[in-house]
Amino acid sequence: MLNPELLIRKGLPKGHFKDRIVRWILGATTYAIVIIAALLFLKIIKDGAPVIFTSKAPFVNFEFLLDKNETLHVFDDAQGVRHQLPASAYNDYLKGHNGVPIYNQQTFSYSGGGIVGPIVGTALLTIGSMVLALFFGVCAAIYLSEYAKQSPFIHAVRLAILNLAGIPSIVFGLFGFSVFVLAVPVITSAPSDRSWLTIPLFIGDMVVSFQGWNSSLIAGCATLACMILPVIITASEESLRAVPQGFRDASLAMGATRWQTIRTCVLPFSLPGILTSSLLAITRVAGETAPIMFTAAVAAKDDLPWESLANPWDLLSSQVQALPYHIYTLAARIPSSEYTQRAQYGSVFVFILLVMSLSVGSMLLRAKLRSRLKW
Amino acid sequence: MVTDLTETTSNSETTAIEIRDLSFAYHEKPALHEITLDIPARQITAFIGPSGCGKSTLLRCFNRINDRIPGAHLTAGTIHIHGIEINRPDIDLQELRRRVGMVFQKYNPFKKSIYENVVFSLRLAGIHQRSALDDSAEMALQSAALWDEVKDRLHSSALGLSGGQQQRLCIARAIANQPDILLMDEPCAALDPTATLKIEELLHQLKEQYTIVIVTHNMAQATRCADLTAFLYLGKLIEIGPTLEIFSTPKDPKTLSYISGSFG
Amino acid sequence: MPIEISPSPENPHRFQRRGFSCERAIKYFFASNAGLTLVILLLIIVFLLKEGLGFFPGYRRELEIYRIAGLEFVDISRKNLTAHEQLSSVLNRAYFAQINGQCARELKRSQEAAAVFNAFSDQTSATRELIANHEATGMDRGSEMLATLNNNHACQKQKALDSLPLTPHLSDTERAELIESIRARDVTTVGDPPLVTALAQQYASAQQQCAMPIAEWRSVIDSFEAAGADLSALVTEMTDAVTTTKEAIQNNDILENDRKSLLAAAANAKDPSERQKLMAEARDSLAEKPDIEGPMQSLMLRKPDCIATHAALRQACEGILAMLPPSLSQSDANRLLLAARKASPLFLEALTGTSQQITQWRHDKPVPLSDSIRSFLTGKDWVTGGAWQDFYGILPLLAGSLMISMVALCLAIPAGVGAAIYINQFASPVEQAVVKPVIEFIAAIPSVVLGFIGILIFGTILRDLSQLDGLAWVPGFPIEERLNIFTAGCLLALMSIPTIFSLAEDALNNVPAAFSEASDALGASRIQTTFRVIIPAAFSGILAAVLLGLGRVIGETMVVLLVAGNRIKIPDFSAGLGTFFQPSHTLTGIIAQELGEVPLGSVHYRALFVVGILLFAVVLGINATAHKFVNRTTN
Repeated sequence: MLNPELLIRKGLPKGHFKDRIVRWILGATTYAIVIIAALLFLKIIKDGAPVIFTSKAPFVNFEFLLDKNETLHVFDDAQGVRHQLPASAYNDYLKGHNGVPIYNQQTFSYSGGGIVGPIVGTALLTIGSMVLALFFGVCAAIYLSEYAKQSPFIHAVRLAILNLAGIPSIVFGLFGFSVFVLAVPVITSAPSDRSWLTIPLFIGDMVVSFQGWNSSLIAGCATLACMILPVIITASEESLRAVPQGFRDASLAMGATRWQTIRTCVLPFSLPGILTSSLLAITRVAGETAPIMFTAAVAAKDDLPWESLANPWDLLSSQVQALPYHIYTLAARIPSSEYTQRAQYGSVFVFILLVMSLSVGSMLLRAKLRSRLKW
Repeated sequence: MVTDLTETTSNSETTAIEIRDLSFAYHEKPALHEITLDIPARQITAFIGPSGCGKSTLLRCFNRINDRIPGAHLTAGTIHIHGIEINRPDIDLQELRRRVGMVFQKYNPFKKSIYENVVFSLRLAGIHQRSALDDSAEMALQSAALWDEVKDRLHSSALGLSGGQQQRLCIARAIANQPDILLMDEPCAALDPTATLKIEELLHQLKEQYTIVIVTHNMAQATRCADLTAFLYLGKLIEIGPTLEIFSTPKDPKTLSYISGSFG
Repeated sequence: MPIEISPSPENPHRFQRRGFSCERAIKYFFASNAGLTLVILLLIIVFLLKEGLGFFPGYRRELEIYRIAGLEFVDISRKNLTAHEQLSSVLNRAYFAQINGQCARELKRSQEAAAVFNAFSDQTSATRELIANHEATGMDRGSEMLATLNNNHACQKQKALDSLPLTPHLSDTERAELIESIRARDVTTVGDPPLVTALAQQYASAQQQCAMPIAEWRSVIDSFEAAGADLSALVTEMTDAVTTTKEAIQNNDILENDRKSLLAAAANAKDPSERQKLMAEARDSLAEKPDIEGPMQSLMLRKPDCIATHAALRQACEGILAMLPPSLSQSDANRLLLAARKASPLFLEALTGTSQQITQWRHDKPVPLSDSIRSFLTGKDWVTGGAWQDFYGILPLLAGSLMISMVALCLAIPAGVGAAIYINQFASPVEQAVVKPVIEFIAAIPSVVLGFIGILIFGTILRDLSQLDGLAWVPGFPIEERLNIFTAGCLLALMSIPTIFSLAEDALNNVPAAFSEASDALGASRIQTTFRVIIPAAFSGILAAVLLGLGRVIGETMVVLLVAGNRIKIPDFSAGLGTFFQPSHTLTGIIAQELGEVPLGSVHYRALFVVGILLFAVVLGINATAHKFVNRTTN
């Protein structure tokens, strides 16, 4: 060797500072993201948590969670004491203090009462769309993983899944509006003007009228289900494929039919995986606003969805409030002031809590699943 | 040749690598036990032994590429390369690896052109002169007996070459640095017999300039190429000696049973 | 009955029979579910096209009416009038920027003092009014209530004094004096504290002083403004005339449509008598064709008048614009002046060209379908629901979408890819275990919450930040609108970082270990290995990550709807980097905002579907490119 002493470096390694600087910059970027995210969360928690949690037992402000949403009235009475009352309490107050003047009255829409309507609406939308999407999605995944062979049909289906997954949510909104709200068939005796095709059923004067379901719970569920379908299919197919091939071979070798094999040897083992990943899909469904804006959601509604219905089926055709749409309304349509903050931050806090617990739940479940299921 | 003139000066000129009482472990699991070994300069030394005996681990200690593996560490002993202890804290690791080149079992050229693969290490060292790069590339490719095959397509992708050519490209890439020592970790394991033969021929040419340490599974290859052969078993050095001796009259019964094919 | 077990010719072998119908049916059932995805995709495409394609003929008819009613003719003159107004507004802004720039200190001092006083009166005014009311009505409820009110007032006063806004431009003694004068105020005191009045006076006199040297310029601007009066009067007069014609044509169109549907109903009616009735109704509703030619001819008679007015305006403006000062001392004012100088030759040129346009304009020139397509794709105005004329030009929305995406990507690419490199290459296992879930957590935040954060938290922070003196060098600061392209871009960046991060990290992870091992063995240092071997090898994967992030950003609705400011206008690029602080509207936002308000089947409704088609095509194109890159890495 020419000069072995060269192997020993003098002072700091070459490029030491460059190395340090690069690491430092990259690390700073990473932690900047983490810190910004943390700050935003803290801000919401700081302003939102006091609305939901109280220092006294039972520590949770059930009124906010369980009351209906109302307009908030803010006014001074003659003593100069400021009152903040939701509309119903405000009317009682007026009745109770007959004729006594009030001063400096201000009203804030959507800011009084609680948010039970939006919570219930979001729950209904989520359950409905997940039921639809899981049923169709898991069936499609079973076909793709258990039956499908290379064919033009499968190729087209895979391409469709890939493309559906990338479509912006507002386009799903347009699609849901033009299809589920305006064009799908219903059976009715009085077709509407906008029906583009009616087929008589010859039972009384019933006809199948292609006039759509109007803006309704079912239309919203269908739209959301279409949006989430590719996610469910991909996740389910993955869990189905994770079941070792040997299970199927063993079952088939014992003379079971394909369907028996799937039912007894594949589905039971992949079900935990499917459900875990569908939890993640729930967070997306619950959080989406654009697809339900025109298909299901209303800003204000006096009754809960199941109240004042002629028959239970009308639940499906009634409009609902939804938490994300409620937050949109609170953020966009009313001015921010000290009186609206309770509604605004409270709703967002509840929503974040909901979505985050779902996604943490799914993360934990996934980790648990990974350690438990090893073949 | 310089060696002839300086034969008398110190044994660091004739002994390239001096290993003393080397023990090595992955986390808590020991892999090498108290190995003491001298590897002479400008000769081919082969490590043989059954799978998992630690021959690759030992080889990978020489350029400290084992540092990449989390939990791998030296527990005792020293390695001197030309008289310099390479585990001392102020060693220039990059310089060490430049002086001790390595070729891996699975050929692994970068997804770059042939030319860029060869001059990669030169660019790392900060050489950007076109002429210097061109000269080194030609030198390295010729040393690796690849020049004639690729000189017309230097700028096409390296992944378009055959397996044997890719492995020779990796050798060229390693010797473009002009290292002193060349470590080869089963360089022919992923190659067909024809390509293997070419590499072996190449080894004979290279040994005139470089100290070569080769790990091999293939005992025939060891007999064909190596001047010296070391037999390792369960992390211990069982025996080392001139290849002919090891294969004809092994001193240790374990060596005998291994080379006669009763295990491994 | 005994069960027949043995196989018969009708019932073939047991095995065969079992396997047939049921299994096959199950298979087809599952296959049909898989086919559902295809059906949905087809339905999306079909319905978007069904609703969207009707837009172009409808829009063509609107453009035709625009022409035959003479609105287009009036718009030739109106365009110049608007340009004139804009130019004079720029000149005015330059004038005031010059003055305010020179007495910025006085302005700030006055504003700060006023802000302190306002903060105080906001807190206490309600109670003060109550007290005043109480005294005025001479209510007899006794002094007890008055005492309560006075007590309330004192409390509020103290509270207000405890939390007064900062006054960096007032000296400490001035602030103390101001606070003291507020403290000394009685419930009944009216008027501003002396310092507030004094500072306001100082400011006014400073303004006057600064205006003195440029008084000549003031008169130039005034005369420029006055020069437009003639044209303005002419345009107003013509507007009334053509609007009447337009309404007549539109009413006729509606009647005509009704008649057509009556006729269609008549053709479908089974009962002959009903058919007769419908036919008769249709015949009755046959409206008289509105008179287009009459008003048009009288409009055409105005042509020479128009030309003459334009020529006069041109002559006047040319003279006036030549008298503009060469430069101004305040940088803001100077920038505006330069903009005006740049715009003025174009304005004059446009005025010159107008006479030819006016002479050549013909109301009976046909409007082909391609005109409506071109007008949609290259139109610079998206004006809807107006009394004058609706235009559906995509450019303002496209510009907004693109600029927001640009801001988002400029922030998200370095952050997302940088974090991916750090986590994949340099971070310790503990860091990995902490940071990865946190970033994936961001992905779970619903976009409407991000919009909420933008509107209530981030936008306000940004505006407050922009008003700091120390940051005045940033182009576009202080910002006028709290909701703008930059705010929206920042939040979208936050939204797309998780996407870019996870996909880029996957790509880096998929680089074979052999590459980095080989590089290490050749003597590369850690960052050399990272930047020369691993990143190039993962490059197409990282590119795919960026493209998928872009697809998400362009398709995102709620954040931009809430935060982008929703002003439908092509941003004013002359502001340089300050352009990014202007409000804007987007492709996704316009659909979300307007779809709920438009009549079904109208041209406007269909226009929104065309925007949807465009969005669909763009996002699918981006995603397809991204997947091509992904495939390139995996193969």
